[in-house]
Amino acid sequence: MRNTRRRRTIALFITLGVCMVALAVTLQFGWIILNWRRLVPLVLGIPFFALLIAGVILNTIFLVREVRRNEHHDSFLNAVTHELKTPVASIRLYLETLQRRNIPEAQRQEFYSIMLSDSDWLLATIEQVLMAGEVGQRADKSQVRSEIDMRSLAEECVQITRQRNHLDNDAISVVANDGSPAIVSGNREDLQSAILNILDNAVKYSLNGIKVRLTVAAENDAWVVVRVTDTGVGIPTAHLKGVFKRFYRVPNKSMLRVKGTGLGLFLVRTIARQHGGDARAESAGEDKGTTVILQLPLLLTKTAQSRPALLSRTGTL
Amino acid sequence: MGTPNILIVEDETHLAQGLLFNLQAEGYQASIAGDGVSALGLLLDNDNFDAVLLDVMLPGKDGFEVLTALREHERYLPVLMLTARGRPEDVLRGFTAGADDYLAKPFDLSILLARLKNLLRRMAWNRRAGNQPSPPNEELTEKPFRFAGRTIDFSRLELVTPEKTIHLTLMEADFLRYLAQNRDRIVSRKELLEQVWRMREDTDTRAIDNFVVRLRRYIEDRPSDPVYLQTVRGVGYRFQPGTPSTAE
Repeated sequence: MRNTRRRRTIALFITLGVCMVALAVTLQFGWIILNWRRLVPLVLGIPFFALLIAGVILNTIFLVREVRRNEHHDSFLNAVTHELKTPVASIRLYLETLQRRNIPEAQRQEFYSIMLSDSDWLLATIEQVLMAGEVGQRADKSQVRSEIDMRSLAEECVQITRQRNHLDNDAISVVANDGSPAIVSGNREDLQSAILNILDNAVKYSLNGIKVRLTVAAENDAWVVVRVTDTGVGIPTAHLKGVFKRFYRVPNKSMLRVKGTGLGLFLVRTIARQHGGDARAESAGEDKGTTVILQLPLLLTKTAQSRPALLSRTGTL
Repeated sequence: MGTPNILIVEDETHLAQGLLFNLQAEGYQASIAGDGVSALGLLLDNDNFDAVLLDVMLPGKDGFEVLTALREHERYLPVLMLTARGRPEDVLRGFTAGADDYLAKPFDLSILLARLKNLLRRMAWNRRAGNQPSPPNEELTEKPFRFAGRTIDFSRLELVTPEKTIHLTLMEADFLRYLAQNRDRIVSRKELLEQVWRMREDTDTRAIDNFVVRLRRYIEDRPSDPVYLQTVRGVGYRFQPGTPSTAE
């Protein structure tokens, strides 16, 4: 209901804009015809009308954009309200239960672990929201950068994701292409958060069994490319770019099943761009899985080349 | 009657399990439905549930849709809605869809249990009132309210018009009772929100109008041109059951 109202508002603004442009164009032609042969009014008038028309067009675009942004903001508020209140409701329910009733020790322990996992969920949402605010405002070049081996970082992230979602090793597999170095210069925390967000999405949107594959590869001696492929709900082609926008969520019934803030991929892309790279998504369509690709500039240094062997052999590659 | 059977409709497993544990500890029978479609299926297929705890944000069909469908199928068991967004618009949307009570998340366990108990008790009274000629409880002596050829039977939750009998939700019955008790007086929207819905929020009360539109369909001959339940511009409503000559 709210959506149709917004659409109507947008349609109204566009119609109004078109009418005003038409009016301005008519006036301009009138002016030209009336002042034919008089140089001064003609020279002054034509740019003036052109300016007026440009102004109206700009104004319309701005208004429509603002309405759209409002819409996204609204859906974000809804999502965040849910993401914040649900874990609090759950923690509170269990605390009150513990307070109110005599509960055997085993069940008590179970309740504690439920509350812990809910508080993790809560913390993750809070961090994501805070980070989205921070990342958006940060000046691109002003961060502390260090050399980071993307292979070991990716592996670390996979471990964290497995733990968070209680998955076995088969659910998320890591594929090492070759031994070539995959070193980038960047902010470790940010890059970790980017990869974690991609992996979280892959897990979240795999409604019928989790089969996620992560690859890290150095390509063309210029890029480190991290690919995360899942077999989940997929993204319709029309929304492949949109999903990286802030607060954007694919308007789709099957997406309603998965809850989130609509900030994850926005963070991924922002972080990638701040590192001189980019992020994009590929999907054959709904229910056909998604591949999210994070691309970062490869750092070619001697120290970097000698280090990965030390770092990357710790996990289950 | 045996132990009341409650259906918990909640997609967050932790919350659902916590609620299940508490309801069972209180001596109720309880089961869980994880999404709107399966909840509706369960409720329409069998009659053995006595009340529903219904979450709003559900996968597939949301809580409002489930509730609307439930009432359309003439299932009038009491429904307590649980909403993450405690905005009055959402709460009122729930009531318009046919909810009997609501709680905003995060809720207080004792309040949830008390409200549920209250809903079940009222439902039980109504049932007994429907079956027994001489009700034992004081609440049950509440007389039907008659006006303009219509009868509101608060104990049976029915509104009998010359054409048909309309089943009322507990909340609709409460609303009509409040109007009947305060007939011929202007009742403000805020007062209705506070007294009938127990909402204290100092916010937009226009959403209440939707609920009134629905009630007018029950009690007015021409709902678009109301006679009995009139809007007093800028203030609220006035219920004047004795207005036209047809009264009594």
